[in-house]
Amino acid sequence: MADADEITEAYADWQARCNANSRLATMLRGWDRVVHLTCSDTGDRFTIAVEDSVLAELRQGAVGDPDLVVTATSEDFADLFWGDLNPSEKYLSGEIVLAGSADDVMRLDAMSMVVFLDG
Amino acid sequence: MRRRPSHGGYYCRRCSRGRARPGSGGHLGGDVAAADRTVDVVVVGAGYAGLTTARRLVAGGVEVAVLEARDRVGGRVWTVTTPGGAVVDHGGQWIGPTQDRLQALADEFAVGTFPTHVAGTNVEIRHGERHEFTGLVPMSDREASADVVTALFEFDQLAKEVSPAEPWTHPEATTLDRRTLGSWVEEHVDSPTGRDIVTAAVLAVFGAEPSELSLLFALAYARGGGGLNMLVRTTGGAQERRFTGGAQQMAGHLAAGLGDRLITGAPVTSVVHGPSGVSVVAEHPGTGAPGGDPGGTGRVRIDARRVVVAVPPAVQGRIAFDPPLPGDRSQLAQHAPMGSVTKVHAVFDRPFWREDGLSGQVVADAGTLRFVSDNSPEDGAHGVLMGFIAGHDDRRLESAGPAGRREAALADLVRAFGPSAAEPVEFVEQRWSAEPFSGGAPVACFGPGLLTGCGPALRRPVGPVHWAGTETADEWSGYIEGAVSSGERAAGEVLAALGHGADGVDGTDGVDDGRR
Repeated sequence: MADADEITEAYADWQARCNANSRLATMLRGWDRVVHLTCSDTGDRFTIAVEDSVLAELRQGAVGDPDLVVTATSEDFADLFWGDLNPSEKYLSGEIVLAGSADDVMRLDAMSMVVFLDG
Repeated sequence: MRRRPSHGGYYCRRCSRGRARPGSGGHLGGDVAAADRTVDVVVVGAGYAGLTTARRLVAGGVEVAVLEARDRVGGRVWTVTTPGGAVVDHGGQWIGPTQDRLQALADEFAVGTFPTHVAGTNVEIRHGERHEFTGLVPMSDREASADVVTALFEFDQLAKEVSPAEPWTHPEATTLDRRTLGSWVEEHVDSPTGRDIVTAAVLAVFGAEPSELSLLFALAYARGGGGLNMLVRTTGGAQERRFTGGAQQMAGHLAAGLGDRLITGAPVTSVVHGPSGVSVVAEHPGTGAPGGDPGGTGRVRIDARRVVVAVPPAVQGRIAFDPPLPGDRSQLAQHAPMGSVTKVHAVFDRPFWREDGLSGQVVADAGTLRFVSDNSPEDGAHGVLMGFIAGHDDRRLESAGPAGRREAALADLVRAFGPSAAEPVEFVEQRWSAEPFSGGAPVACFGPGLLTGCGPALRRPVGPVHWAGTETADEWSGYIEGAVSSGERAAGEVLAALGHGADGVDGTDGVDDGRR
């Protein structure tokens, strides 16, 4: 189990890698979205926003109307953000659940996979 | 009650015999075999497209005859039970999300589906080395994999701009249709390994090399299935589920519903067409065979008001049209080769790879089987591995013969799964490229220039001649779903032309009224 502080710390690491990734700059172009994260075990919620191809800081709680909702265990969120977890594998196995339009789900899956592969 | 327009020069059961035949079909013989008949509409081909067309027409109160070349229905979907009792789909076999028409057929005929087996680790063969990976993309070269994921994404973004029904309307259609998918991949995927991964996926999806496909065609094809990302996926994608007992069953039920309207073993050789209707002739050895029609001529002739041709473009080239088809339609048939694929199945007493934590899926950069997956029955009573030999590999292995292909395929399975894979209980291959009535599989592959040059001819009726088949579908073209939707579309066209539309108003049945 990962607490909110660890997830926040891990996210900051992931956010920095995302925003420094040149492939993502293209992938996120024109894709301003609000993403809610729900920890299935702790019940903690977080909000991520993509604005002008940049990932914003993690916000505590579910803020605003989400375009996408991601549900996973707190441990999986922490592993995902630390880059220790293959996001596509977890998504395909149903351990990470993405809810949103098919297009948004595909883009989140692709971007998280690219960040994972690029390390 | 069924409405029937006055004859106006068309054929009916009572008065057709002895009348002049339509068009310039004076070469037809005078003998009338028992199977000969006069109907409203002839359907050529009893794959899912033709069967769906016929069923819709019958439901619309139209008299139908279906001519099928083979002694079975289903076309590129063919389920067999091996001597050892394994149920094997030699052709199309999967159903995925948004393939609602196919799901409805399965529901109607109580054919169950089950998830394609994916649990476990996948095998990647790269530069002769064996690696294992989970998820969608091979991982031995992460930079290459990131290239692939990015390219897949960019491809699908581009595909969204293309109308799957009318790809030639894209503002850059000429430019997109002038280049191949291969050249696009070279431009968007830097690493050779990344290109190999994409090539393996393209071979599995199209049965063709990326260099054989028009970029515009590939974009439209992907778009019609919801994106290349959908086409390559198992979970959540086009390979998500299989049919318990095989994918051909619904075709069998549809055929049963047609009764003696369906004539099998009757390859159509000529279609004489004109303003007064059509006369369709098929070889039909059965009519002249002992015990068959005693006065048989070895062929069957059906006269009708319309014909729906529900076979792939390349196979349409086997049929003599009189008068000849318009240039663009004829060129289309000449320039749309079928994918080249052999589908092999190796049957084992149990799915032993699962015991090693393996999914049964293989992606290889070279060899005979570039794509392998677990095709075991739902209950795992025995183990079945399915592999594709596709594109250039399929042509290269022509001279190897069945024994040589078996040896090469099993060597690849051993490379992936160890020595247990060396001696299957049974091994069967289905060489679609050598099938005269399909010409290949899974789908017609359009090269550069064809869509922009001849695309509009794909569905456009030629007088009383209409076109169905998965190649003519705008969604899920190349898939069973596309075949079914094309049959619905073609039947709708014909019903409207015959005045059997939903409003029940008799139409004029003019030659061109079926045009889009």
